[in-house]
Amino acid sequence: MDLLTPHLLSIGPLLTLVAVALLVLLLESIITKSEPVSFWTSVAGLLVSIGIAVPGIAVHGSAFGGMLRTGGSANYFSIIFFICALLTIVFSRDYLKKRDSVFGEFYLLILFATVGMVLMAAAADLIIVFLGIELMSICLYVLAGFIRGSVLSNESSLKYFLLGAFATGFLLYGIALLYGSTGSTSITFLTEHFETYASSRLFLAGIGLLIVGLAFKIGAVPFHMWVPDVYQGAPTPVSGFMATGAKAAAFSIIIGLFAQRFVHGVQIGTLLAILAAASMILGNVVAIAQTNVKRMLAYSSIAHAGYMLTGLAAGNAYGRDGILFYLLAYAFMNLGAFGLISFMEQEGEKHLTFDDYAGLGTTKPFLAVLMSVFMFSLAGIPPFAGFFGKYYIFVGAVQADMTWLAIVGVLMSVVSVFYYLRLVMVMYFQDTLIGQTASYSASSAAFVVLAALILLGLGVFPSSLLAIITTLY
Amino acid sequence: MIPLEYYLSLSAVLFATGVIGVLTRRNAIIVFMSIELMLNAVNLSLVAFSQYLGSTTGQVLVFFVMAVAAAESAIGLAIIIALFRNKQTLNIDELNLLKW
Amino acid sequence: MSLFDIAFYFFALITVASAALVVFSRNIIYSAFALLFTFFGVAGLYALLGADFVAVAQLLIYVGGILVLLLFGVMLTTKLVSVDMKTGTLQALPATLLFAAVAGALSGVYIITDWNVLAGAPDAATTAVTIGDMFLTTWLLPFEIASVVLLVALVGAAMIARRDARSKPTQQAAL
Repeated sequence: MDLLTPHLLSIGPLLTLVAVALLVLLLESIITKSEPVSFWTSVAGLLVSIGIAVPGIAVHGSAFGGMLRTGGSANYFSIIFFICALLTIVFSRDYLKKRDSVFGEFYLLILFATVGMVLMAAAADLIIVFLGIELMSICLYVLAGFIRGSVLSNESSLKYFLLGAFATGFLLYGIALLYGSTGSTSITFLTEHFETYASSRLFLAGIGLLIVGLAFKIGAVPFHMWVPDVYQGAPTPVSGFMATGAKAAAFSIIIGLFAQRFVHGVQIGTLLAILAAASMILGNVVAIAQTNVKRMLAYSSIAHAGYMLTGLAAGNAYGRDGILFYLLAYAFMNLGAFGLISFMEQEGEKHLTFDDYAGLGTTKPFLAVLMSVFMFSLAGIPPFAGFFGKYYIFVGAVQADMTWLAIVGVLMSVVSVFYYLRLVMVMYFQDTLIGQTASYSASSAAFVVLAALILLGLGVFPSSLLAIITTLY
Repeated sequence: MIPLEYYLSLSAVLFATGVIGVLTRRNAIIVFMSIELMLNAVNLSLVAFSQYLGSTTGQVLVFFVMAVAAAESAIGLAIIIALFRNKQTLNIDELNLLKW
Repeated sequence: MSLFDIAFYFFALITVASAALVVFSRNIIYSAFALLFTFFGVAGLYALLGADFVAVAQLLIYVGGILVLLLFGVMLTTKLVSVDMKTGTLQALPATLLFAAVAGALSGVYIITDWNVLAGAPDAATTAVTIGDMFLTTWLLPFEIASVVLLVALVGAAMIARRDARSKPTQQAAL
């Protein structure tokens, strides 16, 4: 028993989450009016999971015969996923009522998607990576099409499914080639013997295909074409969940694979740098032309994938820690923004254009202030957390002699200020054209305020979080 | 005995055929069939590697791929039917799959 | 050329030809039936590679499960009387070039790779025992996750495809 206890504790967050998800499944099938019960069970379960994951950060270990890594970065990422799931569940309750789609299965699918994400972050074997991605993706395909009466939602779901499955094909072929060239699928083995195999074309082809598959999942250029359509059509809180949780999960794999010894001696850094630059340029430039707020945030999420890839291309500790910091900050600011959009949205995908936000500063000052906070943070304006995330990443790029990439990043951040602040301008300096309505519950409002406060807190005291991040690997 | 390269090249041809299908066809179900071709190509190379490396691991991996393929096809068909119910078409012209 | 070699070329031909038919046929029903032969050809190749269990599973899961599901999809979404079943293709030339590039590059890598082949097939006459052992030892966790994936797929498929109790009768009549 003494031997078992620390082992169980190390996989505690995962076990708790699976147990909660199964409990919700059970509740759904035995209770008739199950939605409120499922909602509160999910919220409570996620809070408990966060509580279990936090102390585990300091303990590094492995579980299931080397199939999972526990503690450290696995727990850090798990906490990001739990926060994303929690905010998404809270925001989506009001939203689903508006769209006449209140079903407890929604929370169930979010929870199982989160289980998939945790597996991805904790994976020490490529097969766990694959199964984690699939568990997450299958839930997200359904969540994207959750508003069954809406053609836009159906289409979003189909596009996401077809391109997701397509990406899985590349990912799997990459795994197969890595297995063929090394005889193993263990990530630990691959990272340790990277130099041995780096001369093998077969091995590099496998790595290349793996990167293609993962680039699809994070929505980096040139594998981004699904992002705007899917984010626009999916239920708004789900779009937020995809942009934050799913993206963080895909990054957790890429960081686990490439951020350590993997980069040395091979031109993977250059490859990642090109992907990063292309994503930042395309995402930010195209975002300017958008009139739909959700679509604008979708292109902005492509750009943010670019910023984070910059840290990865740098391949040093600064860049890596920058990504970890940024992913947490991004979860709060992006989900906050998507949450506010879901408050404003009306039946039939209405009230989603910039014009619909005109004069919000006078009619709904509370929402306008919060939206401004998230926009400032997304644009990377101090003192919000978004600024420090970008700062660490760009410093990492400069230290890795990729100054050109850092310059591209800074220039593109300046471009991004234009469209983020356009929304703020519209809210404060334009007259209201039509009667705006926003519907939200007290708990959702509380969570949005909390997200904004955390952004401010992380922006003012970034070093406290960074001190934790540096101990993760 | 057939050399390993033969099996792998066959798998590469099968994979490429699937990729072409996904990128060129407009019908969602055909696109999905093409994805199944890609997964079969992966399985073929896994089994070939497994045989020639003398390790059964590759064959175990094939079962996971099959399980996931089955799960994906269930979800995929459900999505396709839901869309068809609302829209009466499966033509994915408006998906802009090739416009990157 | 031994019988074994002939069998390989036979199955390879079936696989490649029917895969091409799946992708390039203008009739979706032909595509679906061509896919049957692709699955069958691949199963034959598995058998040649000594993977008997995988070959049987291929027939059961792909032919018995996935293909049947696909056929249901084809039939539920195609109104046989009113809509012609032809499906369009686009961009034939870029597709051919891409095909040549992908298949050529991968095959090139395979040919230049110096294969460290371990001689001989595994001793066991059947692979089922070994695979079963591995599922319940080394690969127990992935095995469990796969079961969760299947569970979620069932819940999700039921969620998304079930008829809404409040949906309009016209929509129901359409199916």
